[in-house]
Amino acid sequence: MADKTITVRAARFDPEHDKEPRLQSYEVPFYDESMVVLDALNHIKNHIDGSLSYRWSCRMGICGSCGMMVNGTPKLTCNAFLRDYWPRPVVVQPLNNFPLIRDLVIDMDDFMHKLKSIKPWIIRKQELPLGAGEHRQTNEQIDDFRQFSECINCMLCYAACPIYGLNEEFLGPAATALARRYNLDSRDEGLKDRLPVVAEAEGIWECSFVGECSVVCPKGVDPAKAIQQTKLDTTMRFVLPYGNRE
Amino acid sequence: MPLNWWTRQRHYFLYMLREFTALPMALWLIWLLYEISGLRSGAHGYTPPRSGLFVAFSVVVLLFSLYHSYTFLKLAGVIMRIKVLDRQIPSRVIVFTMFGAWAVASAVIAFVLIWFAR
Amino acid sequence: MNAEHRPRTAIDHLFFWFMFANGGVITALLMPVHVLVQGILGPLGVVPVVDQHYDTYANVIGNPLVKLYLLVLIGFAFFHFAHRLRYLLADFGVPAAKSLPAQVIFYGGAVVVILVTIWILLTTIPISFG
Ligand code: SF4
Ligand code: FES
Repeated sequence: MADKTITVRAARFDPEHDKEPRLQSYEVPFYDESMVVLDALNHIKNHIDGSLSYRWSCRMGICGSCGMMVNGTPKLTCNAFLRDYWPRPVVVQPLNNFPLIRDLVIDMDDFMHKLKSIKPWIIRKQELPLGAGEHRQTNEQIDDFRQFSECINCMLCYAACPIYGLNEEFLGPAATALARRYNLDSRDEGLKDRLPVVAEAEGIWECSFVGECSVVCPKGVDPAKAIQQTKLDTTMRFVLPYGNRE
Repeated sequence: MPLNWWTRQRHYFLYMLREFTALPMALWLIWLLYEISGLRSGAHGYTPPRSGLFVAFSVVVLLFSLYHSYTFLKLAGVIMRIKVLDRQIPSRVIVFTMFGAWAVASAVIAFVLIWFAR
Repeated sequence: MNAEHRPRTAIDHLFFWFMFANGGVITALLMPVHVLVQGILGPLGVVPVVDQHYDTYANVIGNPLVKLYLLVLIGFAFFHFAHRLRYLLADFGVPAAKSLPAQVIFYGGAVVVILVTIWILLTTIPISFG
């Protein structure tokens, strides 16, 4: 089986010459069952066409930079095995719903702004002095938010979300999941800073629970759940008489 | 975003179907209001619903309505976080309770609708 | 996001979602049995159903508890429908469905249905405890 190959059709786009992205086919040797789509792209870059642009770093599903559309589904390309597609060709395209910079590279500024807007760090009204020791948490307290803390900012959920595709103002899945991650953390006191951002008109209320974000998330974050739970919590804060309002 | 985005993937299509269930259900409730106001014309003017066309319409609405119940009650299990004695109730239990409540509510309403018909 | 933009919790959307969610649960629990019994079993004559005869139906509709029940069912249901259909319109690629006029039309429509329901329930058969 030394000369088994797979056809990779990669999107090419040069902003200086092209009006529309086009697909270019490459024959890539497929010599190892553990090869992933990213390996195929690296083979193209190193041996066939050095001009192909794409992002990647860790090759092990940690850095979140290699997200692309593989046969129309948002995937981490370092986690998408060629054996699942062979012998049919693999079509690799840039992530949906984001402005295109070149080839497979999208502009992630919008996501970065949204991420920053929800203040994804622990906020304390008053820092404990160093001498006071560590902030202790029970296992139950950690379980409250652990799932939402797994996010690697890969933006697959944004590429899968039709609501974000229709309205780019929407705060979106990962940002809301991360806001919830910090709001549920027993060490955090930043709810009042985050809630107005999350519960704005363009925040959680924009979501109609398509749920595809949670299907494509490679880390099991379940951002759709985070958004719906935030809706319920926020509503309860206002509906219940003892609710803790802003 | 192409406007036919929801035809391109099964999951998107099922989502649109779920959202669409509102329309047939709304039509049926409007019919119910119309039927109630038909009582206005008194014992002789009131015509009870018997037509085959209406039954066919109701069958279609019932399918949509069941799909709504199934999806909505299942999703309710995802979003409710209930803690008892500091322990999270598993969402399986919540979904199960929701479906149980559905069965009980249906039985009670069916009983009222049929019992008082005598 | 520009500097002078100060985010605030959208109370209007919070309220719409509250009504939507409650309407969703209420219709999920109660709609199928009404459609099955009143829309299929009754008309086919499988079982006797109150709305198949004037006397029994008028008797039940006269009951204040039934009136209240119908008002709650229909009231929440139409907020639920209005919300879903407004978002559905946006999903079909009509951004105007998210605008203020669309909100007035859709939720206003739900309020109109509620007012009509109250009127029908109060004027059709007078309240009686018989
Ligand atoms: S929530 Fe999941 S899909 Fe979205 S950015 Fe985080 S890891 Fe990626
Ligand atoms: S290369 Fe880091 S996640 Fe794929």
